[in-house]
Amino acid sequence: MKKIIVLPIIFMLSFLVGSNAYAKDKINVLTTTPDLKSIAEFIGGDKVEVDSICKGYQDPHFVEAKPSFMIKAKKAGLFIRVGLELEIGYEDLIINGSRNPKIRIGQIGHLDASEGALLLEVPTTTKIDRSMGDVHPMGNPHYWLDPLNAKVMASNIAERLSKLRPEDEAYFKRNLSDFNHKIDEKLVEWKNKLAPFKGEKIAVYHRSWPYFVNRFGLDITCELEPKPGIPPSPEHLREVIEKIKEADVKIILMEVFYDEKPGRFVAQATGAKVVIVPNSVGGTKEAKDYFSLMDIIIDKLVQEFHS
Amino acid sequence: MKKIPILLLFIFSFSPYLYAQENEVNELKEEIKQLKSQFEGMKSSYENRIGQLEAKIGDLEQKSSAAEEKPSQVVQAGQAGSGRYFQSFNPDISVIGDFTFHGTDNKTDGQYNQFKMRQAELAFSAPVDPYSKADFFMHVEQEDGEWKIGLCEGYLTLLELPLDLQAKVGKFKANFGKVNRSHLHALPWVDYPNMLTNFLGEEGMSEPGVSLSSLIPNPWDQYIELTFEALNNHNAASFAGTEGRDMVYLTHLKNSLEISDESTLELGGSFATGPNDEGHGGKRTNLEGIDLTYKWRPLKEGLYKSLISRNETLFSQKDQDGGTGINSWGAYSSLEYQFAKRWSVFSRYDFSEFPDYSDRKDNAVSTGLTFSQSEYCFWRIQLKHTDKDYDKDVDEVWLQCNFGLGPHRAHEY
Repeated sequence: MKKIIVLPIIFMLSFLVGSNAYAKDKINVLTTTPDLKSIAEFIGGDKVEVDSICKGYQDPHFVEAKPSFMIKAKKAGLFIRVGLELEIGYEDLIINGSRNPKIRIGQIGHLDASEGALLLEVPTTTKIDRSMGDVHPMGNPHYWLDPLNAKVMASNIAERLSKLRPEDEAYFKRNLSDFNHKIDEKLVEWKNKLAPFKGEKIAVYHRSWPYFVNRFGLDITCELEPKPGIPPSPEHLREVIEKIKEADVKIILMEVFYDEKPGRFVAQATGAKVVIVPNSVGGTKEAKDYFSLMDIIIDKLVQEFHS
Repeated sequence: MKKIPILLLFIFSFSPYLYAQENEVNELKEEIKQLKSQFEGMKSSYENRIGQLEAKIGDLEQKSSAAEEKPSQVVQAGQAGSGRYFQSFNPDISVIGDFTFHGTDNKTDGQYNQFKMRQAELAFSAPVDPYSKADFFMHVEQEDGEWKIGLCEGYLTLLELPLDLQAKVGKFKANFGKVNRSHLHALPWVDYPNMLTNFLGEEGMSEPGVSLSSLIPNPWDQYIELTFEALNNHNAASFAGTEGRDMVYLTHLKNSLEISDESTLELGGSFATGPNDEGHGGKRTNLEGIDLTYKWRPLKEGLYKSLISRNETLFSQKDQDGGTGINSWGAYSSLEYQFAKRWSVFSRYDFSEFPDYSDRKDNAVSTGLTFSQSEYCFWRIQLKHTDKDYDKDVDEVWLQCNFGLGPHRAHEY
């Protein structure tokens, strides 16, 4: 009778020990955003365990350096950031607080995914200051919304994972190849969907969308924020209403985490529609990975342009 | 039966040959694996280059079509913000100004109904080398009509010590409780709680010393940090003052519990001990502190809503002349609620006795409103009524404007 009880327990324990050993064999990756997480999971496959600091329905500019993130960073073998100072408010605190020297800037365990990406809105004036709002001196950091930049991010991740785990280089490279193929296929599909609306003017809440409109041939007429990160003022909204009327803008594009009221107010005054979409993986339940994120944004825009 | 040795001989005579064949197969397999890896590498490298070229072509097309409308803003990451690279070896420099109007019915207050530039804080911060970083905070303040600059903090943090240790050397705010480590501009109120000013001085306890902290491993994966500090015994409110030649020894345990993605509970315990005279331990002060902080910020609406409850208690046992001692304590409890992107309200209750008087105590109630013009500038109004059982009650009002220059400085959670 004892054997009947003891043997299954031993079996279960051995399974647990085995599964732990297996989990330890994976590279622990901590990304700052869920978009990086999605791409890292695609490239790393079953060789990585990926977690993200920021959720897709959260403004990635304002993340607090919670101690729980330091514990996650402590276990990470690779820390991946968007870069371009998007994480300036919390990255140092998390990395220093984690006491994990492997993921400090300059180490092999720290990756800036923007390396080699095509960047937009890099200030070209000789001086930038806070009178311009929350400008990013290195360029607009929302570059992941260009699928071709996603290929660059994926390539950076594959290269770094290969350095960390040379014996799995072929595996990562194969996954990178699959990712690139999928992007190429989907890019044709996405471009075809938006082709009838090339040159169409839209308004946006925040300057998160230059990469997206640049890739898909749309045009941003104005932003609801007077300057990046500065909430809309009544005076600015009056100007926005004039611009929207003048340019016959049909859509006001907004992320899920901004206050809808200014957008609704402008929409009511102009007849334009407020279109709320996720700009990151996990921004809505349906945006499960990078591809479904882009599907959702594009399908929603197409649907609203048609209606 | 004789057939068996013959068969064995036959098998053994072939075994080197079989072994050699197996080796050859393994080598071929390895070679195929390497070729495969090289092929995959080349393939993805070319695909990536093609992707980058496609991106460039796309952007060139875009630029050419829109050349007249907008100037080119497309660059490679390597070229981005090249102007800043020239400053890379300079530290981050910030200046934070704190301006107030202080109205009070206490006519003996030196700042009775006056505008006051309370403080200008100069902050410098940068990595020193791959192993450490340094932070300096200088305070420029007016004392007796003259502007004086003083070192509030200046310390080196060693980041790459073994066993998850981190050390600080220099002058720094003691890790006692929660509010003692906050600079004036980072407070959620205009003034420090009475408990802090009565027991640790006007701006808290900041002394030269060394600090060693470690994260305590635990099965729940919670953030538990233990800190030990040895500091000069110069704090006049509870310890020996500037003439002190002994050390204050301090320990702090911080435990942060993530209740959900949106809320966190932090519980801290502190203990500090040191002589309060020059008698090398003849007369001592022991301080014990408990701090409890609850933070709630919904992730989706986090720009517009949040709530923080801060609570701290401090107990003091201070030896006096003649072999007597005074046991006293103080506490504060504060609630802040952010109800719009730029607006928040707060209230605070203070109770505090004094380390050197057994018969004095304060009760105070404060309330106020903060308007954050931007991340770098806020305006605040605060009303405070203090009920003193040893003196006349005091009513105060502050109008505060706090503004900062320089890079965005991240604040501790």
